[in-house]
Amino acid sequence: MIKFSKEDKQQLIVLANDNNIFIEGPLLKMIDPDDDSVFKSYLEAATESDQSNRRKRLEITKQIQTQNNELQKAAESNHSLMIELKDAVQKAEDAKTVAVNDLDLVQKKTQFELIGNIVNIALFVIVGVGLITTLLYVIAIFTGSAETTLIGSTWSNLFGILLTNSFSIIGTIMGVKYASEKSEGK
Amino acid sequence: MQVIKSILLVDDETLFHLVFDDACNILDISLNLETVSSSDAAENMFKKFQLNPGDKPECVFVDLNIIGSSFDGIELVRRINYQYGNGVVIGIISSSSDSIEINKAKNAGAQFWIVKSDAIEPRLEQFKSDYLNYKNRTGNFKVYK
Repeated sequence: MIKFSKEDKQQLIVLANDNNIFIEGPLLKMIDPDDDSVFKSYLEAATESDQSNRRKRLEITKQIQTQNNELQKAAESNHSLMIELKDAVQKAEDAKTVAVNDLDLVQKKTQFELIGNIVNIALFVIVGVGLITTLLYVIAIFTGSAETTLIGSTWSNLFGILLTNSFSIIGTIMGVKYASEKSEGK
Repeated sequence: MQVIKSILLVDDETLFHLVFDDACNILDISLNLETVSSSDAAENMFKKFQLNPGDKPECVFVDLNIIGSSFDGIELVRRINYQYGNGVVIGIISSSSDSIEINKAKNAGAQFWIVKSDAIEPRLEQFKSDYLNYKNRTGNFKVYK
């Protein structure tokens, strides 16, 4: 234990009375009042003042600690929300890519179907014209018409054109069919 | 009850150092409080105490998860107990009250577990009243929550 001289004790008491300044901290626990009732009162007042200051500081520190914890929790929550948001954006982008690909596929399929329809109609028209011309030629032969030669050369030309174009049309149909099957496979 | 001469607090949270210091002073628990923020720093101190055992603190409070340390509080308790010759009252002070961790601490040689919260003073007061039993190694492991 620490002992102070009478002069030191007096100076400390005067300092406390005039300026309200006391000894603080664990040192207070180490001072021996030495049966001096006035100095004992001074030490009690100093201890009370010290404890009061510490209580205030403790409350403020606790408040700061609580606020810090809340801020930390909020930051963690924000972080996890950001991760969720990034995931959602990524999923949306993936879905968009899939949708764009699907749309592209549908457009291509529609185009292929359109081409297929045009080719089919063209084929029907050509076959129809061929059948009608052949029918006219057969009727002309059996009825002994004077136009047999003209119809015959027309039929011959038309059939030549039909044969040439039919390979082209069949090729186109096969191409369209192959491309359609490949798209469906994807 | 006798005031604890010196306490060592190992905790990464510097604000808690202030809380603990003020609480110990208000409750008249200790004369001297030393604080460190990592288990590595605490281990280094205990390495030095092997050369000067007189400098050893009387009681050590260790946080469970000490951020920025190579090992956690339970491992520090184990090292102090089994590598550095013990001779101190030692326990965990943590916001966790996980029974698995509490058992681990007990097995590592911790004598008590204090749950950190806003109301730390009543727990420290209870600890203060049991302190002599811990010092004399007659007290059983206790959780203050």
